[in-house]
Parts: sequence; structure tokens; C-alpha cells
Amino acid sequence: MKVEVKRLVLRLRDWPPSAWIFFAWLVCLSLLPFLIIFAMSFAVRSPGGDIAWTFTLANYERAFHLVYLRVLTKTVFLSAGATLTCLLVGFPVAYYLARASHAQRQIGLILLFIPFWTNFILRIYGIVSIFGNHGLLNQLLMRWGLVDTPVEILYTRAGVYLGLVYNYLPFLVVPLFSALEKFDLSLREAAMDLGANRWQTFTRVLLPNVKEGVAVGSLFVFIPMMGEYVIPDLLGGAKEVFLGKVMVEQFFTMHDWPFGSALASILSLGLVLAVWLRMSLERTRSQTTSS
Amino acid sequence: MYELRCESLEKSFGSFALQALDLAIQPGEFFSLLGPSGCGKTTVLRLLGGFEQPGRGRIMLGERDITRLPPHKRNVHTVFQRYALFPHLNVFENVAFSLRLKKLPRAEIARRVEETMSLTEIGQLAQRRINQLSGGQAQRVALARALVDQPAVLLLDEPFSALDPSLRVRVREELRAICKKVGATFILVTHDQEEALQLSDRLAVMRDGRCLQVGTPKMIYEDPADAFVASFIGPVNEIRGELAETQPGEWSVNSPAGTFRVKKNGTPLPREVSMLLRPEKMRLLRQKSSAQENLIEGEILDLTYLGSRTEYTIRSRDSIFKVSEAEMERQKKRLLNPRDRVFLSWKSEDAILLPQTGPAR
Repeated sequence: MKVEVKRLVLRLRDWPPSAWIFFAWLVCLSLLPFLIIFAMSFAVRSPGGDIAWTFTLANYERAFHLVYLRVLTKTVFLSAGATLTCLLVGFPVAYYLARASHAQRQIGLILLFIPFWTNFILRIYGIVSIFGNHGLLNQLLMRWGLVDTPVEILYTRAGVYLGLVYNYLPFLVVPLFSALEKFDLSLREAAMDLGANRWQTFTRVLLPNVKEGVAVGSLFVFIPMMGEYVIPDLLGGAKEVFLGKVMVEQFFTMHDWPFGSALASILSLGLVLAVWLRMSLERTRSQTTSS
Repeated sequence: MYELRCESLEKSFGSFALQALDLAIQPGEFFSLLGPSGCGKTTVLRLLGGFEQPGRGRIMLGERDITRLPPHKRNVHTVFQRYALFPHLNVFENVAFSLRLKKLPRAEIARRVEETMSLTEIGQLAQRRINQLSGGQAQRVALARALVDQPAVLLLDEPFSALDPSLRVRVREELRAICKKVGATFILVTHDQEEALQLSDRLAVMRDGRCLQVGTPKMIYEDPADAFVASFIGPVNEIRGELAETQPGEWSVNSPAGTFRVKKNGTPLPREVSMLLRPEKMRLLRQKSSAQENLIEGEILDLTYLGSRTEYTIRSRDSIFKVSEAEMERQKKRLLNPRDRVFLSWKSEDAILLPQTGPAR
């Protein structure tokens, strides 16, 4: 370990300026803030709401209480479900774009991102005006006589779900698109030629060859979904608890920064652990198949 | 094993059109589709593989109409031009792909895969990943993958184009041996006439969506249907002239370069004809000889020594002739140099007579 550190320090001298900029960015905006939060998670909230720097594990003890574990599981399931929906919707979109002509592709990608040129909060209020109890959708449904009372979508779990899928879909389409674009179409023909029907071609040839893109894209949306605060707050209402919401409450309503930090640390470390596990799993698998 | 028949097969897209193609390919035959790019040979292959649907016509495999069958329901497999091996599977699993889809018992899959891999001599590569293969190895894997399922017909789309030239000749010999060993019908698409001649039992020469001639390599080389086939299958020298019957049964061609005796077979010819001469059918003489019937005098412009043969470029008046001589004594080789005056001679029966087409070359 000591030798490795020494070697790293020695190599620092050879780093190009671009590496320094990246490293500085990493330390100042990612590592340092996390370390502050992490340190804070072992502190104590003083009665006045300030931070008292006394070492304690009480915050973690409290965080693993059933109430918070329930919030965590709920958040994981909702995020995973929304990620899966994004995949199901995003895959055909990405497949179409990857196979389209250059012009179609440009237009398609621009259209996909046009909503994102509008402010995020405004887009969320857009959703409210469509799916709210007096929104466009319910008005139409009632006029057509399909329902008598407005369908409650907003301020339910469905509302959060809808908001997550809507907001994160493009960010999954892009990595899927770049994976599918690299996929050699002659492999599809080869599979069909050798006796695979459409479904078998999809599961046995297409999917295994783009699974890296699927995994990266899913993590790309799943991780920020887990920490999402604004969407569940604006579309989920008071009833729907979501990990991000609980954390923000701890910081700004309860003024319990140490406990909020503990929750944030658990989320971050859990995600890092999950990603690391996946990567090392992938590494060992590729080693065993190649030897 | 079944005969494969194309019956007035037509297909058009954009400005290209494949025109009513009729072919009957025998079971176990090594058949080639030869032609320049854009001639429609790949289209025929894709129609046979089921990747395209013909505008008109039928494809029959034995008594079965397979025209509308999707690729996965045909007993026809393809070796793709760039092999299209599955990068996520190792060599063994690539070869086993079609058998796994058929859900055969494990032991049988292993047996058949190993059998086929030893046939194409890749047994030792079973656990390799696809990106660890050389071009020649990848080609053998592609071949094994297509053969393991014992198809009635194997389609090969320019399978040698990605190989080193030095490797090609050897692999061709092996491919032909494999074809005869497994007894399947092999259909090769190529633009390389040497490849088609070396491999095929019979071949079809195509141009602009049309099949110009079908026959054995020898038939096509010696008796080409037209000037395009003649020059595509190998280099030719052309002399244009008028055909005349000097005595009953005796024919000659009168041209600016002289009058030459020819042998005419039964096919009717117009008065204006092209006389085509293969470079290797012509002889170079230092002196005029009365024993030779057809002679042209010329000057050596250039010569290329190729070991087994020497190629000469010879100018006679305004025409350029290519002559290739294989059997020559050392003495004569040493004697012939650029700017030497020589005589070209050939046997009357070696001249190919065809109606004139297009501008003179």
C-alpha cells in the first residue's frame, strides 16, 4: 500500500495539464464535499440546530431504523421501476435512431432534447397542468364520458413515477443509442441465417452485444433518480415519501445536518459499492471466458 | 440433397434491376456467380438466403418453393463477407449457435461442433474469443458455423476478400475439398475470375443484372458468349475484321493487320467480326516461318518476367498485343529484348470469333 502511494506521487509529476484540471475538479467538487458530508454524519446536532463536532455513531443507528429502511426500499423500487420503464420505452427509440439516416437521426435527437431547453421546474409544472385533477387529460376523459370523477395521478406514487420516467428518458436513450449504433447489422442477418427467429435474434445476439450500453445507461439514470428531490416533492405531494425528500427535510426543516449527512452517506456509499461490485463481477467474468 | 432452381427471378431497387434469372444448380455442385461490382451477384445471393424478396419469380429447393420463407426457415446458410461472427461468444459457441437454437442434446451438440471444427481445422481454437482470431481463422470459424447444421446449400459472399493474397490460393483448395467432402451445394459470389475458375464446377458470368453465360470454367474461357465474358474471364487481344469464305468450308478474317485463317463452328456470325486471342495462345517468333499460318509483325515495347511465364507488350502498327509465354528455352528468353522485331503467331482454332460489340479496344 505504501509503495503504491509512493508510485502514485511520483507519477504526479508526469501528469499532463488536462489531468490536473480533471483531478482538481474531482477533488473540489466531488470528493471534498462528500468528505465534509461524511465527517458531518459522525457529529451531533446541538439543541439549537448547529453542528457539534463530537464523534458518535448514533446517526447511523437511527438511519438503520425500520422507518428509514422502508423509505430506502421504496425509493429503490420506485427508481428501479422507473429505470425499467425508461429502458422499455427508450430501447425502441434508440434502435430506430441508430438505424435511421443521418438527417433523421439529427432531427430525432434534437426533438428528444428540445424539452430540456426549458427550465426543469417549468417542465414539471407543465406536467401538473396536463395530469392535474383539472388538467387537460382529466378534462378530456370527463368530456368523453370515460370517467365521472377526475383520475388522481398527481400527488400519488404514479405521479412521481411519471415524472421520473419523463425526465430521465433522454438520458437513457443516448447511451443506448451509442451502443446500438456500434452494433453490426450483419450479426442480425447471421443469426437469422442460422435459424434464429426475431425474438431469439434479439435475446441471443442483439441484447448480449449491447448489454454494456444498457447497464451504463441504466446506472446513468438510476443513480440520480435515487437522490431525486424536486420531482417527488412537486408531483408526489406530502403523502409520498422518497429518500431525497427525507434528506432535504432533515437538513432544512429539522435542521439536523448530521443525521441528513448520515442518510446521504449511506446512499452514496451504497451506490458506489453497487457499481464497484458490478464492475468487478464483469472483470472476473471476462477473465474466466478469455482464458 | 436437392437441386436449387431460380425461375425467372427478378428484383429491382433504385436504378438496379435483376432481369429474369433462370439457374439450375445441381446438388453438391460448386457454383460461382462471377461479375463486376453492381452486376447483381450479391442480390442473387441475398434472394437465395432470404434477406431480400424477389419482385417476381420463384426459388425452388428440390420440390419445395422457398421463395417467401424467412432466412431462419431455410436449409440455406451463409458465410458473410466480413464473417459476422458473434463477438460475445467464443469460437465453440459461435459454431454451436444453430444447434443450440434447435435444442439438441448437449452431447450431440459437442460431438457435431467438434466434428465440424476438425473439418475446418480450428479444433484447437474452441475457447478463443472472436477478437483473438486472425483473418484466416475467422474465416474457418464462419465456415464451420455455417456447415455444422448440414445445410443443403451454403452461400459464400466473397469469402476470400479479407484474406492475405498468399493465403487465398491454399484456402481455396481447402474450400473445394470441404465442399466435395460434405456434399452440400456451394454457391460462391466473387468478382475474382481466377477464384471462380479455380473453384467452380460451373459458373455464371453476370453483368448489369443479367446473366450472360453459364458453363464450366473451360467452356467460358474457351467459348465465351460475348466480348464482355471473354475479357472478364481473362485478358484478350482483339482484331476486328470482315469474315469471308475463301473456299467452301474455309474461312478467313480480313483486317487492316492482314488476312487470317479461322475455324468457324456452326454458330451464325455477321460479316463484321471480332477475333479474340488469349495472350497464352500466341507464340513469339524471331523469324518468319512458312509453317505458321497466321503471322503479325511487331516490336516488343516492354516485357515483364514473372518466373513461370514472361509477359510481353507488343506493338504492331496502331495495335497493342499482350503475349504471355510459359514454355521457353533459356536461350530464347535471353534473346528477346525491348525494341526487338518479332512475329506473333497462333493456331487458327485458338481464335475466338464473336460479333462486334461496342467500340474497338
